[in-house]
Amino acid sequence: MTAVARSWGRLTLAGKILFTVIPILLLLTAGLVLVVVLFGKPIVDFLAANIWLVRFIVAASAVLLMSVPTAFLIIYMEMKVIALMNLRIGPDRVGPFGSLLSVVHGLKVLMKEDFSPTGSDRLVFTLAPVVVYMSAVMSLLVLPFAPGLFGADINIGLLYLFAVGGLTVVGLLMAGWSSFNKYSLLGGLRSAAQVVSYEIPLTLSVVGLLILTGTMSLNQISLNQAGWFTNWYVFQQPLGALIFFIAATAEGNRTPFDLTEADSEIVAGFATEYSGMRFGFFFFAEYVNVFIVSGLFVALFLGGWNAPIAWPEAWAIHLTFDPGSTGMGLLFALLLVPPILILALAAPFYVGRSSLPWWQALIIGFVLFNVLAIVVVGGWAFISLDWVAGLLWFLGKTYLFVFTFVWMRGTLPRVRIDQLMGFAWKWLLPASLLNLFVTALAVIVINPR
Amino acid sequence: MSNLWYIAGFLFAGVSFVFLTIGAAWLISHRNPGDVHKGLPYESGIDTYGDTHGRFGLSFYIYALLFVAFDIEVVFIFLWAIVFRDLLISGFISMLIFVGILLLGLAYAWRKGVLEWR
Repeated sequence: MTAVARSWGRLTLAGKILFTVIPILLLLTAGLVLVVVLFGKPIVDFLAANIWLVRFIVAASAVLLMSVPTAFLIIYMEMKVIALMNLRIGPDRVGPFGSLLSVVHGLKVLMKEDFSPTGSDRLVFTLAPVVVYMSAVMSLLVLPFAPGLFGADINIGLLYLFAVGGLTVVGLLMAGWSSFNKYSLLGGLRSAAQVVSYEIPLTLSVVGLLILTGTMSLNQISLNQAGWFTNWYVFQQPLGALIFFIAATAEGNRTPFDLTEADSEIVAGFATEYSGMRFGFFFFAEYVNVFIVSGLFVALFLGGWNAPIAWPEAWAIHLTFDPGSTGMGLLFALLLVPPILILALAAPFYVGRSSLPWWQALIIGFVLFNVLAIVVVGGWAFISLDWVAGLLWFLGKTYLFVFTFVWMRGTLPRVRIDQLMGFAWKWLLPASLLNLFVTALAVIVINPR
Repeated sequence: MSNLWYIAGFLFAGVSFVFLTIGAAWLISHRNPGDVHKGLPYESGIDTYGDTHGRFGLSFYIYALLFVAFDIEVVFIFLWAIVFRDLLISGFISMLIFVGILLLGLAYAWRKGVLEWR
């Protein structure tokens, strides 16, 4: 209670007003939506006629609301996984297994003082994190999460993704230049040189894949890889996949290529002078970029949302259960099944251990019932809704790659900058061109149309 | 055409999301002007010395130039890769010549020692 009171006392007057006004506004908005749904027939008709507007609003808010929790999850993953690799315990205080620590970090960053140093270019200093985060969010637009679940299916999707992703370097350079700090300037220039150098192998490594697919739409590329896992492009483009993975690591400024924020050399690179929420957006953007890069690798080379095994049509399970057909019985089932199941699940614990009080047995029963309900409902959705299955496969593969990035951070040392630049121009660029021409020759010889 | 609206709409949504969050943080966070030293750039504890936007390595500039040449190439190669199935041999040979000229430039830069970081 004292902590809450102290935080409240620290707020500015505007903050106190805002904290009281925002909940009231949220309640008012909820009421307004209810009124519109109930009585606003012309508005509902208009939205029904322009369904793309509804789809856009849903997609944009879903992507924006998803991006920050994704960053939280990856930050927690990084703290915990690296801690376990270093034989430390890692975060274990806030939430179960410390899983809410990154959320607390986010809230702390939101409440911190947002300070612009003297001599900095205020406007550019503020715009830099906006550009960086915007490029991250706009990349999420074309990522195919599941069949039919994507922001937009753009026919030049891959080119758009590289173009928007390349905007990051503008933001980093803006941050480095406007901070009026030698460390920031060095960090910004390093990131510009590094990202710009690795952009070439990154874009050239997928050209072989483009020859095979004949389309740049990520959704179409995912569709092409349906069936058994041997259809995944990683088996036809192993060199391209390897180059893409290395270059993507460098693009995201991740270890072993994190020269831009090498804390033993240039403090925090371009983010040295940043504080508060403007720093927070740099921080979030880095982790959203890790997610995007992993998701892009999965969509291009690892089959996107396709399961590794193609179920024969004869084995397919069709659950045709219509909840509406049961009528009033459904209502009774919803009312009666949870209490009965909770009691049934709690009984063995109460009977088996005499020292257990009845209310603890009930809590165990409740938790077990929830697990059971999630498994049953999730299993039903996984089998009968293909977008749920696709989303789970996509996220599973993506987080496998996020884990690989975290693993690399826990294992590999940082490279020197001359090794970094030489590797891009002397090895990756010729290798990606070789991959391109070998693929082209193979297509000419075999011509697998 | 609607894809263009999607991109423009996402641009607007993303930028306004960041601005709204930064604005909310600006409203709820406490502020303290501090003294002169608070605004000084952090350079490991000593006061800043010399011109910050002064001189920095020429290597950055040369890599940027190389990047421009190869990035334009990438735009052409992407379109070439999409229609490659219709061109086959003729497309392969013309792209070999095109990339060969660029590789000559890279070899020249390599020979001159530009790719060595100094």
